[in-house]
Amino acid sequence: MAHTHDEHKNNLDSHDEHSGAHHIVSIPLYLMVFGILMVGTILTVLVAFVDLDHIFPGANTLVALTIAFVKMTFVMLYFMHVKYSSKLIWLTAIAGFFWLAIMFAYTMQDYLTRSQGVFNG
Amino acid sequence: MQNASAINSAEYIEKPTNYLNNGYTIKSWLLTKDHKRIAIMYLIVVSIFFMMGGLYAATIRLELLTPQSDLLQTQTYNKVFTQHGILMIFFFLIPSIPAILGNFLIPIMIGAKDLAFPRINLLSWYLYMIGGMLTLWALMQGGVDTGWTFYAPYSTQFSNSYVMAVGLGIFINGFSSILTGLNFIVTCHTMRAPGMTWFRMPLFVWAHYATSLVMILGTPVIAITILLLAAERLARIGIFDPAIGGDPILFQHLFWFYSHPAVYIMILPGMGVISELISNFSRKKIFGYEFIAFSSIAIAVFGFLVWGHHMFVSGQSIYAGLVFSFLTMVVAVPSAIKMFNWTATLYKGSILFDTPMLYALGFLGLFLIGGLTGLFLGSMGLDVHLTDTYFVVAHFHYVMVGGQVIAYLGGIHYWWSKMTGKMYSEFWGKLSAMLVFVGFNLTFFPQFILGYQGMPRRYASYPEELQVLNIFSTAGASVLGVGLVMPVIYLTHSLIWGKDAPANPWMLPGLEWRIASPPPTENFETTPIVTWEAYDFSDENGLDMEEARRKNIVTV
Amino acid sequence: MATHAIDTHDTHDHYHPPGLQHQFEDMGQQQESASIGMWMFLVQEIMFFGGMFTVYLVFRSKFPMAFAAGSNHLNVYWGAGNTVVLIVSSLTMALAVHYAQTGKRMAQVVCIILTMILGATFLGVKAIEYADKYHEGIVPVTGLNLRTALHTEPNTAGGSHVPGDPDSLEKSSLDAPSSAENQRGTSGSASNSAGHVEDEYVNPNGNFLWTDTSLAELAQKEDYLTTAEKVGYFSNGQIDANKFRDKVRIFYYIYFMMTGLHALHMIIGLGLMAWLLWKAWSGAFTADYFSPVEMSGLYWHFVDIVWIFLFPLLYLLGRHFGAGGH
Repeated sequence: MAHTHDEHKNNLDSHDEHSGAHHIVSIPLYLMVFGILMVGTILTVLVAFVDLDHIFPGANTLVALTIAFVKMTFVMLYFMHVKYSSKLIWLTAIAGFFWLAIMFAYTMQDYLTRSQGVFNG
Repeated sequence: MQNASAINSAEYIEKPTNYLNNGYTIKSWLLTKDHKRIAIMYLIVVSIFFMMGGLYAATIRLELLTPQSDLLQTQTYNKVFTQHGILMIFFFLIPSIPAILGNFLIPIMIGAKDLAFPRINLLSWYLYMIGGMLTLWALMQGGVDTGWTFYAPYSTQFSNSYVMAVGLGIFINGFSSILTGLNFIVTCHTMRAPGMTWFRMPLFVWAHYATSLVMILGTPVIAITILLLAAERLARIGIFDPAIGGDPILFQHLFWFYSHPAVYIMILPGMGVISELISNFSRKKIFGYEFIAFSSIAIAVFGFLVWGHHMFVSGQSIYAGLVFSFLTMVVAVPSAIKMFNWTATLYKGSILFDTPMLYALGFLGLFLIGGLTGLFLGSMGLDVHLTDTYFVVAHFHYVMVGGQVIAYLGGIHYWWSKMTGKMYSEFWGKLSAMLVFVGFNLTFFPQFILGYQGMPRRYASYPEELQVLNIFSTAGASVLGVGLVMPVIYLTHSLIWGKDAPANPWMLPGLEWRIASPPPTENFETTPIVTWEAYDFSDENGLDMEEARRKNIVTV
Repeated sequence: MATHAIDTHDTHDHYHPPGLQHQFEDMGQQQESASIGMWMFLVQEIMFFGGMFTVYLVFRSKFPMAFAAGSNHLNVYWGAGNTVVLIVSSLTMALAVHYAQTGKRMAQVVCIILTMILGATFLGVKAIEYADKYHEGIVPVTGLNLRTALHTEPNTAGGSHVPGDPDSLEKSSLDAPSSAENQRGTSGSASNSAGHVEDEYVNPNGNFLWTDTSLAELAQKEDYLTTAEKVGYFSNGQIDANKFRDKVRIFYYIYFMMTGLHALHMIIGLGLMAWLLWKAWSGAFTADYFSPVEMSGLYWHFVDIVWIFLFPLLYLLGRHFGAGGH
């Protein structure tokens, strides 16, 4: 086989995902994840109508995004099989969000520090 | 198998079938999935775009020969420099080395039959063609005058509506670039031959891996930005229009989030070529392989953190300017690491001054100047003085032309024998390399001084006291033009009348030199097993250098 | 060393499973390539949508009240319903992959069909929502919204409906600059062909109809306007309905761009599903070869994830401001 594995091969290429890709997630597990997603959806709608901003400004946003993040994590881990995938896939998924964070952070560092605080609309 | 001892060139010459004579119909080219044929198709189209961009450049320099705007009207001049920028950046610099040399060489260098997704590779070429044709159509209709940066609100409310056509062209072309990058990354991960470990890959491949990262992570952002721009222009929604609540600086943020990393798309592959040339023509293992490899990745990553240095005077906050200015200094470090390592590789090497090496040595000097002046511009205080002057123009031409174009020419000469199976004339090669070097410096060095004296970019006229330096610059452009036309002639000449190339004209250890010139369609008869490090000139590698010199195979 | 190098692999006489492409040595390599390639594509997609999310972030941080006003006007029931539809479709897609892996052809086919139905449902709901917005005159494109004739008004959804006010629109800052561009197409032809028709329309230029500034007033009273808002909504110290409307229009622009791009991805996804259905029906996928199902699944789940974020960002944030008057 061409893919004779050399001891030098970087562990990013660890071929354990060959077994991982064929990992079959059981139907009950899928249904459980589905349940979590549904609960999250209902929760996020209900919470949105409650004024949490009196706790601290932006609390509503924070809660809504946290729930969205949790939902996303479950979709990625189980529906998209990341949990059973190689490190490279983990790295890829994380890198995507890391770069998104770079774009947000470095754009906002401008908008949040405009010295006059005013952008004349 | 390309057994190391079988590197003797003669054995391969009589091989009859290769990728070039494997089918002569137009269909066999246009529907090919062979990465080598696709590379050749890119070579042809990219060269045409390069020539068109070059003609625009010549027009600009001719106009600037005199202080008045006498050759072109100012409006026409605006269109000419815009189209020079758009063609050169989106349709020449970005696809040049990756799509031609990278496409041709990456699978061969890592011992694969093809890229991981040959059909997607062909799709990339078609997307490039569609995007290019659309842009050309818009240019033929009269073109745009926004500058290649398309700054809003000028592009969204004024200018003319061909902005949308050009934007769409760039949008489509962007997906060509994304898919090429995707293909390279997957190929590097899964297609390496047995024994071809990550740290045995040629640095050319590492550089392309880093480039591909930028392509995948950055290009989609320009795609969405251009889409927003077109929507804004079409429907006048006001997202970038300050008159109705929009924010033009947001456009600049989004634009430069891609377009700054894009300059690394334009230089990283060149750095990869230079690593190959410096090491191979010094006949010495490259100094600090890992440092060069990781500095490519570091450039790709840090390159995303510095876009704000294009916006120092745009109205972004002082704090953001400071942060971006500081990070710009940081991103200089990996580039400097490469420079030091290349220089250290030259030390005590047995250097051959063949044409490709002349280009490589030229690159070292020119990129040094281009990089250092980049630091001047990255310093916020100085940049306020130099923004939008010819200093900026000179700086990025030193990096883009002095860097990428020189490296591209070096690479084309270096791998010409492999790609076409023919040898070009070394005499004309050296002559043109020297003309390019001299002409380039004569063109762009005066522009540093002009910029420092305050000559703004993007104007068709200038004060009379600046004319002397502008004449120098235009004279240099003529020399540069001659230097760039010459390779077209003698390389084309070599296709018909050139000597047949041996498999390994310079006796080099890379995998691409262990197969026939031109390579067979499947690259390797059987999958090779790699047992040597990159740039391994030692005897165990099967390369008898003394023997080679005696036979005078090594051209000097 | 040299002897090792002579060692060769004959790639030609080993078994070629169906679906193996020539450039690969074996199915494992092909499967791995497809998987990495798909993930790289998804990263590209993240950044593609990321640009829009950045636009959203910037404008929301500047004008939270205008965004809340626009957001509250969206129909949360349609939005939540669509979220559920998409999550169910993700489940059926995941099951399709499961049945492909276990080699059950009919179950695969059923799951793919279900996924397609749910995807189409989502798009249908989206179309209803778009139509609603169109009839209410809040499609943010100059020159659209033409159908806002007086007699169609009762059709629009109740509750927080925004009545069109032609007087305030006359002063529209939109009309001030480059009026030539606004004229194009719509108003010109309407007035030229039949002058009296114009009277029936509250909105002859098809402008963006929005007059509700209650949230800006609320924020002013409670004193939580951002500095950008203090400039952005006010003229001479008074809340300027036109300036506020311009900010709401930006929200709707972002809403239409983001959901539109998402819908476009759904349509592409449906195309993929149709292809999968055909392949699955003809029994192309076995326990050894199911990569296309898996890759299409990744894509489908990604589109679902985008919606998981779009739903709270576009429909929910700011609901608590409007809770009183809703």
